[in-house]
Amino acid sequence: MILQAFPIWAVDLTGSILMIVFSFLSLRIVFALKKRDPNNVVWTYMLMFCFGLAAFAVSRSAGHILKQILLLSGHAAVWAPIRPFSGAINTFMFVFVGSVTLFFERVWNVYQQILKDKQVIQAAHEQLLYLNQNLEGLVTERSEALVLSEQKYRRIFEVSRDMILVAKKDGEIVDLNPAGHAMLGRDGTDRPITGCLFGQFFSKAEDWDVIRQKISKQGFILNFETDLKVRDGSNIRALISGSLDKGLSPDADTVLFLVKDIEERRSMEKQLAQADKLASIGQLSAGIAHEINNPLGIILGYTQLLLRKEKVESERYQDLKTIEKHVRSCKAIVKDLLNFAKSSRPKLEEIRINDAIEDVLGFIQHHSRAEHIEMIREYDHRIPPLMLDEKKIKQVLLNLIMNAKHAVGHQGTIKLSTELNAAANQVAIKVKDTGYGIEKNNLSKIFDPFFSTKPTGEGTGLGLSVSYGIIKSHGGDIFVDSEPGKGAQFTVVLPVL
Amino acid sequence: MHKMRMALSVVVIFLGSVLLDADAAMATQAHGAPEGIYAHQMAHLFFIFSMGILIYWLRIRKLVKETGWRFIQYSALFFILWNIDTFVVHLLDEQFGILSVDYPDFWHIRIQPHGNLNGMELLYYLAKLDHLLCVPALLFLYSGLKRLLKETGVKANGVEAQ
Repeated sequence: MILQAFPIWAVDLTGSILMIVFSFLSLRIVFALKKRDPNNVVWTYMLMFCFGLAAFAVSRSAGHILKQILLLSGHAAVWAPIRPFSGAINTFMFVFVGSVTLFFERVWNVYQQILKDKQVIQAAHEQLLYLNQNLEGLVTERSEALVLSEQKYRRIFEVSRDMILVAKKDGEIVDLNPAGHAMLGRDGTDRPITGCLFGQFFSKAEDWDVIRQKISKQGFILNFETDLKVRDGSNIRALISGSLDKGLSPDADTVLFLVKDIEERRSMEKQLAQADKLASIGQLSAGIAHEINNPLGIILGYTQLLLRKEKVESERYQDLKTIEKHVRSCKAIVKDLLNFAKSSRPKLEEIRINDAIEDVLGFIQHHSRAEHIEMIREYDHRIPPLMLDEKKIKQVLLNLIMNAKHAVGHQGTIKLSTELNAAANQVAIKVKDTGYGIEKNNLSKIFDPFFSTKPTGEGTGLGLSVSYGIIKSHGGDIFVDSEPGKGAQFTVVLPVL
Repeated sequence: MHKMRMALSVVVIFLGSVLLDADAAMATQAHGAPEGIYAHQMAHLFFIFSMGILIYWLRIRKLVKETGWRFIQYSALFFILWNIDTFVVHLLDEQFGILSVDYPDFWHIRIQPHGNLNGMELLYYLAKLDHLLCVPALLFLYSGLKRLLKETGVKANGVEAQ
């Protein structure tokens, strides 16, 4: 078959020229890309790729053009030795471009990794730049925040009304707040408490062992009630909570203790319990007294009727008198019980308390020997007249002073004082003696009816109970402070109406 | 592991065939005339393979979403077509001598098949116009790169503007 050769010549020549043109244009663009971003490995790769293609285009197209020219001009013999070189170069360029192409994926991965690293480095650089530019300000800001935080927690530590104690796990004290020093009765003259063992302040060593074991086992302890030894030798009741603060190493572990002084609360609880007890006894006493009072009245009445019919010198008369005496005695006790139970309302009238005390003192000095007992009077003359039942108040004063006299014995001092507390609108009357005082275990019983430390027959044990009832019926209070060997002080507090 | 075993097998077979060839073993391997065309044809096949790999990675990495890389993908496709075309031409006239070609005069080409292979002449004639495939391939490459240059310029300006 014979066909037109012109299309082949034309396409071959034109195509060869266009191949060279486009391959070099491509190369130029890759150079531009490379120039714009010299470190981009993808453009380096494309440069190699396009360089290979350009070399291929030149070798192939130049070969084709030369071939056509030589063949057309009748110099086929000249083309014969060139042809193998042209073909070999073509083959080589194929392999080169193909080989380069195979590395595209690897190059692309490298490029992506470089981009990621670059972004990370850029972010780190920007952060460093920011820190560098604002370092001083940031440090100042952080320092101020730290100082404020430190001050805030230091203030909590300093002004807390409860003890805050920091100790090592073995109990060695690291820090103690001012409330803690005060609670333990320490002042500025004491040696530093740092380094002392917290355990030595426990009244019962086993309590400290329990606390240590619990903290070691569960990391904390809550509301453990114990007694702490105060510097003056006394004890205070305390409620202890603590938790373990883990440090960087076991040696750096500390325990933070919060200790509450519950001595006052416990004392108040005792007082409340005492008041409750006395109120219950009062109710019981009032009930019994009412039931006994009527039969006693009948017995007394009939006894007196029988007495009228008997001769004075008769034996029966003496027997009836004895019955009458003891019935009266019983009635007096019943009356006292009713007074203790506050069953009768006080008849209020205006009296001056200092004068009332003087009246009672005069009565006592008149009726009993008290020549070796020194009476000290400290009256507050600002006290206004008080609305009181004079008879009953004098009975209270008589009971207290007689008790003091009995406590002092043949020689000693009784101090009587009055004091106006204008702020609380109250008057305090204090009777203090230099006697032996009251045993601690008796303190809670002294206002109980029929409780007495006097020998049998010397007292009914109703004096203080009656006084308690009378003062309570006036809206006041009565309490005692005493230590064995240091005497006792009774304080009566009455409202200023 | 499987690929390595295959590659090892190919090497062993190749070395075995060379070493067991008694004639060749007597002296340095001779490189006669047919070797050139075989090497050239293998280069064409390798080129087809490498362009196929390029298209594969461009698509896997989703680079073809960008116009520039998409054009480069088209360029690789035209290079594959061009290689197939030239491979066929070499196969017909040089490698197996299926056709004999000569130019009786400047304006004409004579194509004569050996044997009863009708239609091969026309296929050969059309395949000889191979620049109709390789020029578009280079044109797409150029266009793709130009687009990439433009896109990177936009990105760079964008970054600078930020």
